[in-house]
Amino acid sequence: MPKITIDARTIDVPKGTSVLEAAQLLGVYIPRYCYHPRLSVSGNCRMCLVEVEKAPKLLTACSTEAAEGMVVRTDSEKVKAARRDVLEFLLINHPLDCPICDQAGECGLQDYYMDYSRAKSRFPAEDKVLRQKRRALGPHLVLDNERCILCTRCVRFCSEVTKTSELEVMERGDHSFIDLKEGKALDNGYTLNIADLCPVGAWTSRDFRFKQRVWFLKKAPAVCLGCATGCLMEAHYNDNTIYRLVPRPNAETNTWLCDRGRMTYKAAAAGDRLSKGVIKNGLIDLEPALREAATRIDEAKDAAAVLGSPWLSVEDNAALALLAGGMKTENYCFDFKFETGIADGILVNKDPSPNAAGAARVKAASGGLNFEEFLARLSGGKIKLVLTEARAAGLLKDALKASGARLIVFANNRGEIPAGAYATLPYASYFETPGTFINYQGLERRTEPVVQAPEGVKPLWQVVNKLSAYSGASLRLDSAEDALKGLDKK
Amino acid sequence: MENILLREKVADLQSYFACGGYRALKKALALKPAEVIEEVKKSGLRGRGGAGFPAGLKWSFIPKDAPGPRYLVCNADEGEPGTFKDRELMLKNPHALIEGMAIAAYAIGAETGYIYIRGEFTAECALLEREIASARAKGFIGRNILGSGINFELHLHRGAGAYICGEETALLESLEGFKGQPRLKPPFPAVKGLFASPTVINNVETLAAVPAILEKGGEWYAAIGTGKSTGTKLFSVSGPVNKPGVYELPLGVTFRDLLEKNCGGMREGTRLKAVIPGGSSTPVLTAEEAWAVKLDYESLATAGSMLGSGGVIVIEEGRCMVKLLQVLARFYHHESCGQCTPCREGCGWIEKLLNRLEAGRGTKKDIDTLVSVAEGMLGRTICPLADAMAMPVISFVKKFRSEFEAHAAGNYCPPDAPVKR
Repeated sequence: MPKITIDARTIDVPKGTSVLEAAQLLGVYIPRYCYHPRLSVSGNCRMCLVEVEKAPKLLTACSTEAAEGMVVRTDSEKVKAARRDVLEFLLINHPLDCPICDQAGECGLQDYYMDYSRAKSRFPAEDKVLRQKRRALGPHLVLDNERCILCTRCVRFCSEVTKTSELEVMERGDHSFIDLKEGKALDNGYTLNIADLCPVGAWTSRDFRFKQRVWFLKKAPAVCLGCATGCLMEAHYNDNTIYRLVPRPNAETNTWLCDRGRMTYKAAAAGDRLSKGVIKNGLIDLEPALREAATRIDEAKDAAAVLGSPWLSVEDNAALALLAGGMKTENYCFDFKFETGIADGILVNKDPSPNAAGAARVKAASGGLNFEEFLARLSGGKIKLVLTEARAAGLLKDALKASGARLIVFANNRGEIPAGAYATLPYASYFETPGTFINYQGLERRTEPVVQAPEGVKPLWQVVNKLSAYSGASLRLDSAEDALKGLDKK
Repeated sequence: MENILLREKVADLQSYFACGGYRALKKALALKPAEVIEEVKKSGLRGRGGAGFPAGLKWSFIPKDAPGPRYLVCNADEGEPGTFKDRELMLKNPHALIEGMAIAAYAIGAETGYIYIRGEFTAECALLEREIASARAKGFIGRNILGSGINFELHLHRGAGAYICGEETALLESLEGFKGQPRLKPPFPAVKGLFASPTVINNVETLAAVPAILEKGGEWYAAIGTGKSTGTKLFSVSGPVNKPGVYELPLGVTFRDLLEKNCGGMREGTRLKAVIPGGSSTPVLTAEEAWAVKLDYESLATAGSMLGSGGVIVIEEGRCMVKLLQVLARFYHHESCGQCTPCREGCGWIEKLLNRLEAGRGTKKDIDTLVSVAEGMLGRTICPLADAMAMPVISFVKKFRSEFEAHAAGNYCPPDAPVKR
């Protein structure tokens, strides 16, 4: 454990720790562009130069290993001058187009300029090296080579994380630029991480570009429900609209976020968002839709069935379990067995649903059929009506068709409604209501409401509560937690 | 004294052998590798590529017990403006290099060696290929050298024209097939060099001096020179002198002797104005400084410059220093690899400032900017290319400021003497 002194404060660090990381442990921030904790060290930006006692030159903190007795200064005049100079070098050929740059407000050049430089430009505009502007590369990104500081984070991400190596620095000197390698396309499924990694406005997201100035955005923690990995993320929103999802790096699951996961916010604000009930193909108000659904459920008696959903939170599955209890039917199931594990070596899970483990917890408390038994009963004609969530209904597809059982589903969007559904009831998405999800590792994660649901759209447990009132098996739930408590009592 | 390196009529194996060639290799193979290194340490031989690092010490950095292969690489990517000694040496005495490499490889335990040669050296390449083949045919290199059980395979690798590949780690990258860009150090090549294995990289001239050291002894070699700067050095002299060319002289020779005794003095009608003593990247000396200086590592450092590669560029009165620096800046701007910020951006900026001054569009402020840009680059990059640009800029402006100011004032030709053409 080498003992290192940084700005007169001493710390023991594990062998192999860099000066930059050691400083971070002490709460001393050393500015950096090319350094990223999850990428290899390239030492090219020279922003993290620090003064090390006995070293004749300034050293890059990112690539210098902390050694026993090392004495480092990050705030000396020499270091400050180096930072000013490096920033000036980075800015001479930069277009300084902040007013029209989407990165403004979260730009490493802007931030460090304010923190470490504030020098006047000495470089005539007509001398600037011109490069290619705004080029769409891949389905999600736009590249502006003129704004690029050649830190190579994007190049290293593609070679080290996705191992697809689409990008490279072409040419040399001050005319070098980032480009796609010949014959490659930038569509590795993780490309939007490049927009996050890029410390400047060179890589921007095609989806997010010009939608919102970042200083207007508010941030809320969220969990990705795109698959069983359950990545932690952060939703950036303003004025009741989510504008983008970015990773919330954590040791358990993710540093990054996949492109598909980042787009999951779109459904909440999509044009086909349901705010009313649907009976057959016609929209009707929620109350009559609930009444109709309740009538059909009562009618089916013990041939009615409830299928939980691995796409719903633990609370909402619990509410469905309570409803099944009130309906006095044996036909309910919270059993979903998917193969789990990381499918692509990065983040995407073999299990496409976010909460099979959460449903299993409900099953443990409430019992119920195995999925195979449920399917057998459905195919065997013992089930005449199925109440479930839209995507879970997809798991029954053939059996449903064969048995001709009535299907009542909960759905967020019209596009989710399975063909042949008898009734559809809208519910609030998990960007609008809290919920607990358990990922494939058994980690419990909670989503928090980021935006408000469309008017009249309620969380699923509330819809279930109302449905229970209409059907005469009233649950009287006051909160999502009530559903969990009710389940515990069972 | 007799030349050690630049000898006549030894360009083929037969004549080299007839003059006692490859005796040193035989002698070395009878010693333990550590004894060979000890002999080279004793000689005081220092790297002739520019940095002047003691060669024996460099060899001893190879970890003794590291598993896996080690490599010996000869840096023959001679590209420093004003330097043309390795080229001459390879043409005249290729077997000194081949023998030197075989000895060095034995000393560090390398079974494979590479000569990374500048791509434009087509004649040198052809000659080396031929001589390597004949040395292999005679069993001086290859498998089981001279029946000793020691193997050393030597390959010639041609560069593709980038100055940066003369920087040792960029050279390794290039040799491995990657884009020639310098690596971060540490790890140093002695620990993790070519193909992530322990590697020694030496200049042509350094390796070519090894056979003589082994044959005649380290002490003999150390007796030549100044005591700290030992042995002979090749000086490539260019500029308006009567006999420009490559000269082998003991280190510590005065510049005056080099110029007047060897190069036949300044060409008629010209007078010395300045000297760049060690290749284009070393700080310039005024005539007054040059007349007083001895050419060895220490004396030149004391004079504020460097021995560098020994590329002596002689500059006559009437020559425009702004124009000269502009030419150098164009070169470094063109050759900067672009990997790290200060060099990538700074070299271009310096060239643009000099273009402006040279064209008579510059200002006094541009001169200050020029120096501060150079100072901003100095010592802050991965490799010394930025320093190679910054050092001449700082020294040119410091020593010839009046010329830069005259340009800024609009009189953009040298004020110190009328130009004779």
